[in-house]
Amino acid sequence: MASENLFAHEFSEEHDLELEQAMETEADEPGETEEPPEVVDETPDSPPEESTTEPLADKPVTVTNGHKPSADHEAKMTQLPLARIRNIMKLDPDMQVATNEAVFTVAKAVELFIASLSRESYTYTAQSKKKTIQKRDVEMAISAVDSLMFLDGAMNF
Amino acid sequence: MVERIEDLNLPNSVIARLIKESLPESASVSKEARAAIARAASVFAIFVTSSSTALAHKQNHKTITAKDILQTLGELDFESFVPSLTQDLEIYRKMVKDKKESKASKKDTSTTAENANASTTAATEDATE
Repeated sequence: MASENLFAHEFSEEHDLELEQAMETEADEPGETEEPPEVVDETPDSPPEESTTEPLADKPVTVTNGHKPSADHEAKMTQLPLARIRNIMKLDPDMQVATNEAVFTVAKAVELFIASLSRESYTYTAQSKKKTIQKRDVEMAISAVDSLMFLDGAMNF
Repeated sequence: MVERIEDLNLPNSVIARLIKESLPESASVSKEARAAIARAASVFAIFVTSSSTALAHKQNHKTITAKDILQTLGELDFESFVPSLTQDLEIYRKMVKDKKESKASKKDTSTTAENANASTTAATEDATE
């Protein structure tokens, strides 16, 4: 599962931000453990999310020093990491500069997008009297909603 | 710089949380469905960016601003996102501004301790506030 290996091969300092964020999540919602076991197996150098707060405490200071407060701050406003969003935006070869506000807006928009696609997908799940969203529910939602046309052809993986 | 394609994926744990928060308590999501939603989210980000870039270029500016993003979302049939995003953006702006100001005032107080000239700086600061 390629998508499960998100955190496995990170070099940039983003990694720490995300790890930090993930750890915060763990602290907030102890019931929600998303880290799949295989990721832990593959990354001996990246501490598992279950680890104590110690790495959380000193890591950001050593690695991101001055950036830490801002990352912290932003973490409160967007759940998605802004650095990652900016990287995705940079995929557009025509994009030269984007303001922080623009990146923030895209991050927030993506969050809204995920929520609305999830709700839309769930209507199909509920229609078939199920509780768990399946991939076909997402696909049905995508083909039913006009504004999601852009996803056609981008979803085969 | 993007080192590998995985760097373009959005963090799974965050995606899972965002999905969960938008659904009724009893609902859950399969791994495949979550991956599909995550993928759609990345594609959406690219889509919005390239549309905004096109828009900015049409208006002869190079820098993509929040305004470009909002305008693009409206044009792409996501105008329902715009009011909430506008609100978030205001909070974000205020937060950035507050952060700058608190940084400035911190610098101020530290110089006051060592430097008599700092009082002039502080006065200027007061005047701007």
